[in-house]
Amino acid sequence: MGYLDNSVVTVDAILTKKGRELLARGDGSFRITQFAVSDDEIDYTLYNVTHPSGSSYYGEAIENMPLLEAFPDETQIMKYKLVTLPRGTARLPILNLGYSAITLKQGASLAITPQTLNYLGSNQTFETNGYTATIADARVLATFNGVGINTPEATALNQTTTLGTNVSKTVIGTSINLTATTVNTLFGNTTQLQTTLTVIGRDSGARIIIPVTITKVN
Amino acid sequence: MSFKRFEADDLVVSAEPVSAPVWSTGAPILTTFFTSSTQPSSTSGNYFYNVYQTGSTLSNAAIQFSLAYADAQGSGSSPFNSAVVGKSPTSTLYGQYRTLVLGDEEGSFVFGGVTSSYFYVIAVDRDRFKESLLPGTFNLLLTSGSTTLRLTDNSADVTTVSYNDAGRVYQVVSGSNGSAYSGTGYTVASGSYGLFLPDIGVILLNGRAVDSSVAGGGLAFPTSRTSTTPTPTNITKMYDAIRAGASFQLTYQETISSQFIFARVRNSEFNYSTNPSYITGSGDLRIPNMVNAPQTYITTVGMYNDNNELLAVAKLSRPLLKDFTKEALVRIKLDF
Repeated sequence: MGYLDNSVVTVDAILTKKGRELLARGDGSFRITQFAVSDDEIDYTLYNVTHPSGSSYYGEAIENMPLLEAFPDETQIMKYKLVTLPRGTARLPILNLGYSAITLKQGASLAITPQTLNYLGSNQTFETNGYTATIADARVLATFNGVGINTPEATALNQTTTLGTNVSKTVIGTSINLTATTVNTLFGNTTQLQTTLTVIGRDSGARIIIPVTITKVN
Repeated sequence: MSFKRFEADDLVVSAEPVSAPVWSTGAPILTTFFTSSTQPSSTSGNYFYNVYQTGSTLSNAAIQFSLAYADAQGSGSSPFNSAVVGKSPTSTLYGQYRTLVLGDEEGSFVFGGVTSSYFYVIAVDRDRFKESLLPGTFNLLLTSGSTTLRLTDNSADVTTVSYNDAGRVYQVVSGSNGSAYSGTGYTVASGSYGLFLPDIGVILLNGRAVDSSVAGGGLAFPTSRTSTTPTPTNITKMYDAIRAGASFQLTYQETISSQFIFARVRNSEFNYSTNPSYITGSGDLRIPNMVNAPQTYITTVGMYNDNNELLAVAKLSRPLLKDFTKEALVRIKLDF
């Protein structure tokens, strides 16, 4: 992974692993319809409001930083989306899953019901359009689906099957159901499988990532 | 909130022709030619030789093209079975190219008005010619003894492109850069020097033409047409002629389909971030100055389908400042 030449502003574009999978599937699911922007790699603690040269230089350290090339793993990029909120917003929405980490034994199930804090004037709320949940390695779960949202895209995602490869899987719902895999061969010589679960509020854009660990039973 | 739908005119598909030298060296002209010492003893060696730009055992060796010899009577190679006359690797190749190029099992190869029952084949490696060869860029020197032939296709001379079962077809003539030196550029009595078939990456060299006398426009090339000829003999002769000529120029052409995507970020959009360094654990903005004048830095544009699945990403080379007074237009090109 190299750095991009930042002497001129260029754009380095690639398909993600998921994009290649959907392109290969050839069922029309590779259809770009919307975009989001993110500030991955930016550390806002570098924003120096005490810069002696004044406010034009507050962001100097950030604006001159070199950026890395794009990663093809869709779970490793677009981590921190920019969101559209009314001017004057002092507190941004954040997600609460009720768990900071998930550990499941083989075959065990868990239901997660995310909540959004600081959103629409409410301390704690469920988003109307639900939540998008992405498991980074779909193999570690025997079932992974979302319930509570009955839109066509939610239905399509919840019915999508990805077998045998370590690509991500995304579902939509107000509640997310997980069941750990029972397949022993995935473990190899280890006793644990680890991946991450990313949950994003579909209305607020708030995002949280937590680690998921599957432990071998026998 | 964090996704914005593209409008109809934000997505544009464009197809652009791209051309470049065929050879893996990146140079327009290939001047060195190598074969593998193991191929003659293999089964494929009875049919064709692969030609490399460097020693075949070197790590950067890549097949540039294959050389073969085809003969309707099966001459120029030993028969598969001595009891079956005329059935040999060369007759197999003749039938293969007759099907591929003529599409008629009764057809004959006609080179510039003259029928020939044997020819040499230069089949450019698929990785090299991509989609098609670019007419007018074929320049090949063949040297035998003290005679050198400079061959090209006649694409610059013809006003109407001919087609057969292999797509576009041009005559191979004496000349350069798609034009004959004089007249048709054919031999005196043996027709053209071959057929240039850009759409399948194949060049057929008319055996009769190269065999004709120097005065007749040929090389007095010694094609062997007996049934006792060891199979690779003629291939080796043509390989030696190409190697002695030491100049083979060819360019490929392919159409790159690109999708241009215009991500338009308006002044009121994307001015807050979910970046953990932007907010505290409770969601408060970490930098108080930003409550009334929020600023963000765009580094990445993600492109999604309706299911919010991330299909493609575009990374900016440096962070782009965004606030309520700025708009951004990012043009992204995806090649397929």
